[in-house]
Amino acid sequence: MSKPYVSVEGISRKFPGLTVFDNVWFGVNRGEFVCLVGHSGCGKTTILNILAGLDAPSGGVVLADGREISGPSLERAVIFQGHALMPWLTAEQNVAFALGCKHKGWDAGRLRDVARSALEKVGLGAARAKKPSELSGGMKQRVGIARAFAVEPKMMLMDEPFSALDALTRGALQEEVSRLVTEAGQTAFMITHDVDEAILLSDRILLMTNGPMARVAEVVINTLPKPRVRATLHHQPGYHELRDHIMDFLITRSRSLAGVAPRDYDPRHPPEVSPAG
Amino acid sequence: MQKPVSAWRATLLSLIILTCFLGTWELALQGAGQGGGAAIDPEYAALLGQAAASGGQTPMPKPSEIGRRLFQLLSDPFYIRGPNDQGIGIQVAYSLGRVLLGFGMAALIAIPLGFVIGMSPLLNAALNPFIQVLRPVSPLAWMPLALFTIQDSSISAVFVIFICSIWPMLLNTAFGVSAVRREWLNVARTLEAGTWRTAFRVILPAAAPTILTGMRISIGIAWLVIVAAEMLVGGTGIGYWVWNQWNNLSIADICIAILMIGLVGLALDRLLGLLARAVAWQE
Amino acid sequence: MARIFTTDYDPCGCGRNHADMACDMPTDGTGAMGQVVEEAVLRAVFPQAATRRAMLNTFGGATLLAAIGDILPLVDAREAFAQTPAAPEKRDLKIGFIAITCATPIIMADPMGFYRRQGLNVEVLRTAGWAVIRDRAIAREFDAAHMLAPMPLAMSLGVGVASPQPWSVAAIENINGQAITLANKHRDKRDPKDWRGFRFAVPFDFSMHNYLLRAYVAQAGLDPDRDIQIRAVPPPEMVANLRADNIDGFLGPDPFNQRAVFDGVGFIHLLTRELWDGHPCCAFAVPAAMPREMPNTFAALMKAIVEATAYSNNPANRREVAAAISGPNYLNQPQTVVEQVLTGTFANGLGQVQRVPERVGFEPFPYHSMAIWILTQMRRWGQLQREVDYAAVASQVFLALDAGRAMRDLGLTVPANPMRNETILGRSFDPAQPDAYLNSFAIKR
Repeated sequence: MSKPYVSVEGISRKFPGLTVFDNVWFGVNRGEFVCLVGHSGCGKTTILNILAGLDAPSGGVVLADGREISGPSLERAVIFQGHALMPWLTAEQNVAFALGCKHKGWDAGRLRDVARSALEKVGLGAARAKKPSELSGGMKQRVGIARAFAVEPKMMLMDEPFSALDALTRGALQEEVSRLVTEAGQTAFMITHDVDEAILLSDRILLMTNGPMARVAEVVINTLPKPRVRATLHHQPGYHELRDHIMDFLITRSRSLAGVAPRDYDPRHPPEVSPAG
Repeated sequence: MQKPVSAWRATLLSLIILTCFLGTWELALQGAGQGGGAAIDPEYAALLGQAAASGGQTPMPKPSEIGRRLFQLLSDPFYIRGPNDQGIGIQVAYSLGRVLLGFGMAALIAIPLGFVIGMSPLLNAALNPFIQVLRPVSPLAWMPLALFTIQDSSISAVFVIFICSIWPMLLNTAFGVSAVRREWLNVARTLEAGTWRTAFRVILPAAAPTILTGMRISIGIAWLVIVAAEMLVGGTGIGYWVWNQWNNLSIADICIAILMIGLVGLALDRLLGLLARAVAWQE
Repeated sequence: MARIFTTDYDPCGCGRNHADMACDMPTDGTGAMGQVVEEAVLRAVFPQAATRRAMLNTFGGATLLAAIGDILPLVDAREAFAQTPAAPEKRDLKIGFIAITCATPIIMADPMGFYRRQGLNVEVLRTAGWAVIRDRAIAREFDAAHMLAPMPLAMSLGVGVASPQPWSVAAIENINGQAITLANKHRDKRDPKDWRGFRFAVPFDFSMHNYLLRAYVAQAGLDPDRDIQIRAVPPPEMVANLRADNIDGFLGPDPFNQRAVFDGVGFIHLLTRELWDGHPCCAFAVPAAMPREMPNTFAALMKAIVEATAYSNNPANRREVAAAISGPNYLNQPQTVVEQVLTGTFANGLGQVQRVPERVGFEPFPYHSMAIWILTQMRRWGQLQREVDYAAVASQVFLALDAGRAMRDLGLTVPANPMRNETILGRSFDPAQPDAYLNSFAIKR
């Protein structure tokens, strides 16, 4: 097993009187898509913020490419839950801003052209001159996605990126992201509580118990074949077993397993399962 | 959600209200100033004002009289017949010049300082008591202090405008900067934008509407203050002109001055309103 | 020429006594102009300051100069110095004034060409109030200013200002010309004894108006600080306040007394010349250093002012002067109001036309006795808390000799003595006995 690109080693998040999670270990390999699934309050967003460098753990360390993370970096781009577009800039200018941060020497014309093609890749070429207030929710999120991909980060971090959208838009964007990730061979880490989304996109799914004292109860390996398409995915053999397993966890086991871990639980190596076979 | 109001109807209603007000005023003073006293020696009467000659007191002028005088003043607004006698256009120009100078200086200091205060909670807490103590001080109280230390009446007037109009801009800028959405700051952080790029390309545009609101309030205060300052110090300017007409107890001229002051204040506010619209953004 | 010098008080080595006022005050004797010559001579004869001081201490200034005068023609030198119409050091001058008829000579000298005739280019600037004129004068925004006669005294003594500001009265502007005006509702309350509880306005604390009003009511047995209220109010506001019933009356400058009658708001109770005929009111004030630093400009200004004053005083010219100064650039008042004040034919607010041609007079000579009376009143009412040498202060602030010189040059009769006995409120005032006068009052602070 090659060394993981990102290695989370024993991180914890504690407040006076409250331990959200303690001693969490996992890794994300290059080119891998990892999902973290769990209920609110288990610290998923905190873990993502720590990976992004926006937050610091109370204990433990995160290594990226062998070096400790000390702050936010262009190498780890974030797609936020609310699109976080700057409302005084057009779609194109938003993407150009990000490009300008990465490529400080580029002139305005080049930034504009690359921004335009990034928007076209997500199908928003025609809307590039519009301000965010003139775009729908789905379109805004697409711009956010275009912006994140445009800077060609080593790792993409996604914080429940589709949870604010309606079901139909969500589906379309999920496939969009799936395509982009596959094309670019992008390493990605996503937080979600949408099971189908996790199954569609990820290679590994981390299941977190409820907080406080949350932990990675299981690592589910997604053995369903790629490329995955929504229309046909649920017909694949092993899909429903996989889905049921995760649903069971979310509905029952996340709560029943919450709190103190069983004696044979090794935080460094949470149990791995492959329900899809 | 209110229906959009038709501009026509609003204007019409405004005109009706104005006409009613002026009409009532004119009619109320129809018979004013007539004393109806006993017959007075004509030689004596010749030495008195119109109203006093019939035993009354010089009354408040009627809108028609004010209108006539307004026409007179506006038909030659830029004359100069001596240092103490200049057209109303020139007086307004002097006042505007002082306002722009004082307001400009205040903006140059308030906005950067407000920026810094907004970004540093420590500075904010430390400077807040000073700001809160100085803010409510009236220009009429600053004036004597300014005259005493600065000793030049023109510079003192500009200083008083500066010290009174700086606070809204300062406070609004600080507030606007400190209230910038966390999200956008996070975006800038993850993009490794750096302090200056973040300050100018993220924080400034985000806070701009609040800053402009502060500027709009400030220009209103500056214009208000200049009239008061000029009444105290005198020389030139619309405030001085008001005081001068007061000396002559010519109420019609004072009403006209009030009208001018209001109109110029309106124009200044509209100007800044346009600026505010230019930097406004919608979610 | 009497030199009133005591030489045992000389803190700055200039050889002069300036009675604990600021140093650049010229001493009495031959006036500020003559002082220039004498100083120059003394310094030439005794170049060492220590020697000079010693000589002055031993012999006294008068003796020394008399001795020198035997050799050097000092009198001629002084006269020559004064007579030479040398070019003014500074031609463009700014003079501040308050828009009242007291300043008539200062004002009419502009449109009627008296400044121009002396080669001066003077801008007369209307100013907002007495405090502002004082501040702008101190800040040297004005080269000279219209002031109330007590103001240079107060400023030089450090009363009402942060530190003593040496200013001098170069000429008196007007004598008489003020009045007590009461609201129409007090037509039947003409006796000051009935004025208990009245609220009065005066233009400024350091003004003849304040002192005359106080003396008048005190004579009627009322204490001006306890039995009536006196406030400082700008003159145009006096009329408005009277109309609004905020005050019951005022002792103020014209044209506002006449304006109150004109607008049907009040009536003239009495003219101040009935209290003290020939009382000073306003002054033409200059920085004390001007005669020394800009002697030619000072001489030219004095000529212009004295000539203007004489012209204004002539009854034949009064109508013309009224027309010249009523306009918006100067007094900004209806012409008939100003005419009534200057000609003395006026409506008194009680239905009669009165004819008092001496209602206001324009006489430039700054009698020292006027200054001494003002000082006694400043002490009487607690404005001046310490003892002063009345005569010394008067002679230092009221430049009688310089005014006298300008008057002589224009062929006017100059009073022989800067001190004279006055009749004030029916009593005699002897300027040589100020303390006795002060102590003779029952009501004082």
